[in-house]
Amino acid sequence: MHDLLSKRLPMMLAFFAGMVIIVAFFSGHPTLTNFRSNMQVWVSIIGGFTLLLGVVSITSVNYRRVRKLEKDWPYKLILLISLVVSGGFGIFQGTEAGTVYDWLFQNMSAPMMSSMFAMLAFFIASAAYRAFRARTVEATILLVVAMIVMLGRVPIGQVIYHRLPEITEWIMNYPNLAVQRGIIIGAALGAASMSIRIILGIERTYMGR
Amino acid sequence: MNRYRIAEILTGIDRRIIYLSILLATIIPFLVGFPQPIYVSKESRDLYNWVENIRDGSTILLTFDYYPSTLAEVEPMSRAAIKHCWRKDMKLICMTTVPLGGPSITERVMNDMATNWAVEELGAKKIYGVDYINLGYKPDYKAVLMGMGTSFRDIYPTDFRSVPLDSFPITKNVDKYSDVNFLYIISDNGIVDEWVTIANRQFGIPLGAGVTAVMAPKFYSYLQSQQMVGLLGGMRGAAEYEKLIGSEGMATLFMGPQSLVHLMIIFFILLGNTAYFLGGRKV
Repeated sequence: MHDLLSKRLPMMLAFFAGMVIIVAFFSGHPTLTNFRSNMQVWVSIIGGFTLLLGVVSITSVNYRRVRKLEKDWPYKLILLISLVVSGGFGIFQGTEAGTVYDWLFQNMSAPMMSSMFAMLAFFIASAAYRAFRARTVEATILLVVAMIVMLGRVPIGQVIYHRLPEITEWIMNYPNLAVQRGIIIGAALGAASMSIRIILGIERTYMGR
Repeated sequence: MNRYRIAEILTGIDRRIIYLSILLATIIPFLVGFPQPIYVSKESRDLYNWVENIRDGSTILLTFDYYPSTLAEVEPMSRAAIKHCWRKDMKLICMTTVPLGGPSITERVMNDMATNWAVEELGAKKIYGVDYINLGYKPDYKAVLMGMGTSFRDIYPTDFRSVPLDSFPITKNVDKYSDVNFLYIISDNGIVDEWVTIANRQFGIPLGAGVTAVMAPKFYSYLQSQQMVGLLGGMRGAAEYEKLIGSEGMATLFMGPQSLVHLMIIFFILLGNTAYFLGGRKV
């Protein structure tokens, strides 16, 4: 019984769900298409529950650490308070413009996230100065191309040399494209083979195995 | 002073000096102005031309697929896209696949454009439910994108404010991708791949995208395969679009700091490499 519930049933569900989506897409049969459409709504609903699961998980983990006064517990307490305050206002008052949730988001969350991202410019400059060296032929090519693209992607590049934007476009459209296409095809083949492995029950890591 | 000593000095620049240089390169152009000519790339022009050639009054699906962290880079694209579409009296169905802030950003930008810009530029407010609508966010973006190909109402029975879609004139005759004329994606993440593979390849809706500069190289392959009609790459893409629509905004203003910061980074890279060649492995 345990084997059926923990192993066979999830595998059968995965096989059934995967096959229905594939067959419905290629056959175009109205009943299957309709069923596929329903399944997509179910996925969206399940996705909603995973968000809830995330909230429960983050609350329990951080609550435990605050209670035991573990390292950095004040930060975890701030996290829990923020979660309760913004979540509470969002649930009971709504999230539209003019609500407390919206105010908290626009004036606290958004500026903090933007600040974190903005700091990247400083770290990139420092890291590039220390680590971006023309040690080998490959590194030299990368360095030269990177500098051309960096200049060609901003208006001042055109002021320095009027053909720099065109050269940048050529780099993006040919050498870059060739590499990107290889990566995309590789990733797509990988995703397809992984999907087949999951549908056929060969890949079972989603069950915690 | 021998070359090893020079190399040591060059490699020993304190990181705080680098940070200060970047800070000054960002602030100074805002204070003194730094106007530069904007070169319009082919991919930006193609996107502009495609939207320009869509019949006036058409319905556009506009996405706000970005997190607050990249607002400075991608919000100008959203605003430029909205300006272009509303000048052609297009109807905008807005949505997001980003849970953290996506709906709030959509709400803020759309309300601001509808009440402020539209009044100044077009002489009248744009009406919610008639000229635009915010569908908000639904979990599991793949299921959402697939489901919208069959029925918008299956995924979004109501708008962001929990009002049924059937009660809005804008969505009265719109229920799937084939009912909209164009998909305009503004994104800072890999969702663009899913839009291309699902909305464009499976359901045939033409699409164009505005993405962060770091993501743009990946999407050139979709341009060449004509799965994407045009592309705005980073803030420069937004500035190009602003130039094309004849409305210089934030992106054009931000080109000054971006140019100087790029120059500064290149300067530090050259400095580091000069030290490397002077001192070799000793430094």
